[in-house]
Amino acid sequence: MAVKKLNKDKVKEALQELTKFRLIAPAKSDEVVVFKQISDPEEAFLDYGNSTVPPKKVVFPQTETLFRFQRGNPELREKNVEEEGTTVIFGLRPCDARAMSIVDNLFSWDYEDPYYLKRRELTTLVGMGCVNPPSVNCFCTSVGGEPCGTENLDILLIDLGEGYLVRELTEKGKKLAETIGSFLEDAPGGSEAKAEELSGSAKEAVSRSIDTSGIEAKLPTLWESPLWKEVSAACLGCGICTYLCPTCHCFDIQDEVEGAEGRRCRMWDSCMFRAHTLHASGPNPRPARKERTRNRINHKYSYFPGKFGVIACVGCGRCINLCPVNIDILEILGKVVEA
Amino acid sequence: MVDVEKLREIAREVVSREDVRQLIGYRQGTYGFRARPAFITSPEEVDQLIFSPACVNNLATYLTLEERLPVPRGQEPDLRKVAVMVKGCDSRALVQQMEEKAYERDRIVVLGIPCTGVVDMDKVEKRFPNVLSRGEIALEGDKFVLSFDGKREEVPKEELLADKCKRCRYPTPLVYDQLLDEEVSRFADDDYADVLALEKRSAEEKWAYWEEKFSRCIRCYSCRNVCPMCYCEDCVLDRLNPQWMRRSVDISETTAYHIARAYHLAGRCIQCGECQRVCPVEIPLMELNRKFYKDVEELYDYEPGTDAEAPPLLATFKVDDREDFIL
Repeated sequence: MAVKKLNKDKVKEALQELTKFRLIAPAKSDEVVVFKQISDPEEAFLDYGNSTVPPKKVVFPQTETLFRFQRGNPELREKNVEEEGTTVIFGLRPCDARAMSIVDNLFSWDYEDPYYLKRRELTTLVGMGCVNPPSVNCFCTSVGGEPCGTENLDILLIDLGEGYLVRELTEKGKKLAETIGSFLEDAPGGSEAKAEELSGSAKEAVSRSIDTSGIEAKLPTLWESPLWKEVSAACLGCGICTYLCPTCHCFDIQDEVEGAEGRRCRMWDSCMFRAHTLHASGPNPRPARKERTRNRINHKYSYFPGKFGVIACVGCGRCINLCPVNIDILEILGKVVEA
Repeated sequence: MVDVEKLREIAREVVSREDVRQLIGYRQGTYGFRARPAFITSPEEVDQLIFSPACVNNLATYLTLEERLPVPRGQEPDLRKVAVMVKGCDSRALVQQMEEKAYERDRIVVLGIPCTGVVDMDKVEKRFPNVLSRGEIALEGDKFVLSFDGKREEVPKEELLADKCKRCRYPTPLVYDQLLDEEVSRFADDDYADVLALEKRSAEEKWAYWEEKFSRCIRCYSCRNVCPMCYCEDCVLDRLNPQWMRRSVDISETTAYHIARAYHLAGRCIQCGECQRVCPVEIPLMELNRKFYKDVEELYDYEPGTDAEAPPLLATFKVDDREDFIL
């Protein structure tokens, strides 16, 4: 696959060209960085660390209609994801792209989820390598990723200063690069070497780490450990850690009816909520924050790798950065290793 | 400033008491300048305790947050008291909770912290980004002194102080068993400048403003869960039948959620500002709560969380209550 260069003075024109698709890019809402559909290249904010809410919402929306129904009419009008059209996520971080490949396992496992998989098929991922790890709590290198990793991306951009090195990684990526071909130029000699150097120094700059090798096997032995009570004591039971996690994928399905019409929709759910496992008859198999915290860690580091061979965490650090009470997954994993 | 040795000495005594189950205080966080809640059950753990301007959390929330699980057959329920460290603003949550009969005064032991203000951690992290090693923040005169990575930085207090502290009327706790330091007299007052600015906007401007903010909301409910006044065991939001608020997330349901929460806090919000602090997408929720706070103060001369003996505002009626705002 080819390696090209996109000069920074051409970025806006390239983005303008990409608005013929459903173009999702980082943008500012007040001071908060969000991924959203943009129609004007001026909206894009590419000089960002990482978004608060991960771009998983593009392929796995917080709320989506599955089908609509009408009283007295046996026909279900199913959502046609195709109508959303070709989508380009421009400028997502390698960890968030890798997260989608992890979530793919779940949605193509025992039942092939047509909504999610169709969206994935329609979406081209243009990543932006982390030349500087955006947060002190980044730990991608501990869980199989790296700041300028290419996994699951179609194109990787690496910021060389005056322009971006454009690495085409897949056929999809090649096709997209052709669309903006007139804004690209051949990468000058030495730019690959410079990109390699930047990737290497970025890896060195990831400051936090954890040895994950024994955790999957260790966790089941710690089921009754007092550590769960200890690490969950401060938990507020809110949804920040799970909703901002690029790999968390729990959902609820509800029927919403108004008069004679309604829709079946699904929406994000969080294992940290009390109602997540509350039975209709009253009991709750995860009655307290202790059990819910234990589940969150076990799901990411034991159940998911046991089933799919990959840890359901990409080390983006959002759950650490944004937890209001400083519950720190690396501290918890450290206690698991030590226990 | 609270002397940490004195704090630990008092905490050690309290935790050693037979009638005290645990003490909720603060300890150093896992990175940077963060501090976090500490749950101390034995005298050996007391040396973890700290207090500094980084201790932003309102710990009163934990008094009503802990799950009341069924007691296994043959065991007795643990009815011992819980001790809690509170700043001035936090203490008002205790007062309001007791005003609402959430628990009786003799269930808790209160260690009061006369407070000279806490930092806004967002401002700190913006000013000193990417500090991993554990740093400390202290107040010296009118400057915050930040020590980290062998460095010492001084910043004028005003620049890092949390907004709520700039208008704090009650720096010394209104309820306590022991005060950990000398009383701090009021150093600020509330001019409601932000609320007045909000009130001046037209309906269209207000809607445009809030639509932008609410469209970011992911309904993680951190604002509800962190709130010391949101302690209903069965929250209206979690109800499925009838379902007052849909689970689907769109601007209409999200707006309804925030309006409902603001109304449920009218005459109850004690202005600790935790909802706004924890919001991951920076929705200025205190502007809503403060509008109600100002209205309640003006209409009924009532400030929530200042008098545990007073009946809750919405449980009182006087024939001469103002009602000219009712349509």
